[in-house]
Amino acid sequence: MHVMEGFLPPLWAAVWWIVSLPFIIYGFVELKRVINENKDALPLLGICGALIFILSALKLPSVTGSCSHPTGTGLSAIVFGPFITAIIGFIVLLFQALFLAHGGLSTLGANTFSMAICGPFLGYYVYRALRDTKLNMYITVFIAVALADLFTYVITALELTLAVPAGDLGFGGLFATFLGVFAITQVPLAILEGAVLALVFKYIVDIKPDIIVRMKIFSEEKIKAARGE
Amino acid sequence: MKYQFEIIVGIIVILFIGVFLYTASVNPDAEFGGSDGVGSAVVSELTGVAEDDVAPLIPQWAPPSGEIESGLFALQAAFGGIILGLGFGYLLGQRKINQN
Repeated sequence: MHVMEGFLPPLWAAVWWIVSLPFIIYGFVELKRVINENKDALPLLGICGALIFILSALKLPSVTGSCSHPTGTGLSAIVFGPFITAIIGFIVLLFQALFLAHGGLSTLGANTFSMAICGPFLGYYVYRALRDTKLNMYITVFIAVALADLFTYVITALELTLAVPAGDLGFGGLFATFLGVFAITQVPLAILEGAVLALVFKYIVDIKPDIIVRMKIFSEEKIKAARGE
Repeated sequence: MKYQFEIIVGIIVILFIGVFLYTASVNPDAEFGGSDGVGSAVVSELTGVAEDDVAPLIPQWAPPSGEIESGLFALQAAFGGIILGLGFGYLLGQRKINQN
């Protein structure tokens, strides 16, 4: 999902930076608040943040004959909300821009917007919409995580579509082309990521169900139902 | 069933590997390069500026070789792995203390 350095014209690079900056700043404030006030949640914050570091470093092959990587942002968005996820995702993307030449500093705003903001926000609202339904909570986590992953790549496709002259293809045709490159590749990865992170979430619930209840992530009844109690 | 969830995830992992093996076998020319690169190639085609000629807006350091790049990626994953283990270890230790 990295838009590489130099591939966005200065105007669009600036636009995505300006759009992303408030999320990063508010995320930083939120992160400080959680670290200072909710010491109990720190191991959980470590787990959720670590998953973003690990999964976004894993390049996996896909059906289109190219490789892509999961984002790992969905679980963090569910547990800590999209703003804290924005700052963690931003840190990962900054590391990759500085040391790996995956995405650049001028396109960091655009990459942050897709992976650290849009994906987590979509995942968070999907989780919120499904949280109080009858659906098993692990399936809720699976769906929210998978869609957060997939949506990131839809936004990357949109960012490139907006930045490049469409020519004969037209806006829709160009968007479809980029979706073919990014989103289709991502579908199997999103499913895999959803399943793996749902399993990680199950382990967290198994070890420490009380903190999930206390942080109001899922209700006690939901947890009992999912664990077959 | 105790390991129902693990089995489902295991099946999804095996299916994922199966899809990869199938794709690689029906499409021997597939390079499995990064989709970022494929996206950039589409951009280059449309703008008419070759990928290598795209000027960075902000100068960028790039890992001199694929080896160094993969090493840095491994470092990123290792850092995540350490924190992940620390987090789960802490939770498990806490549970043990509370049980006693």
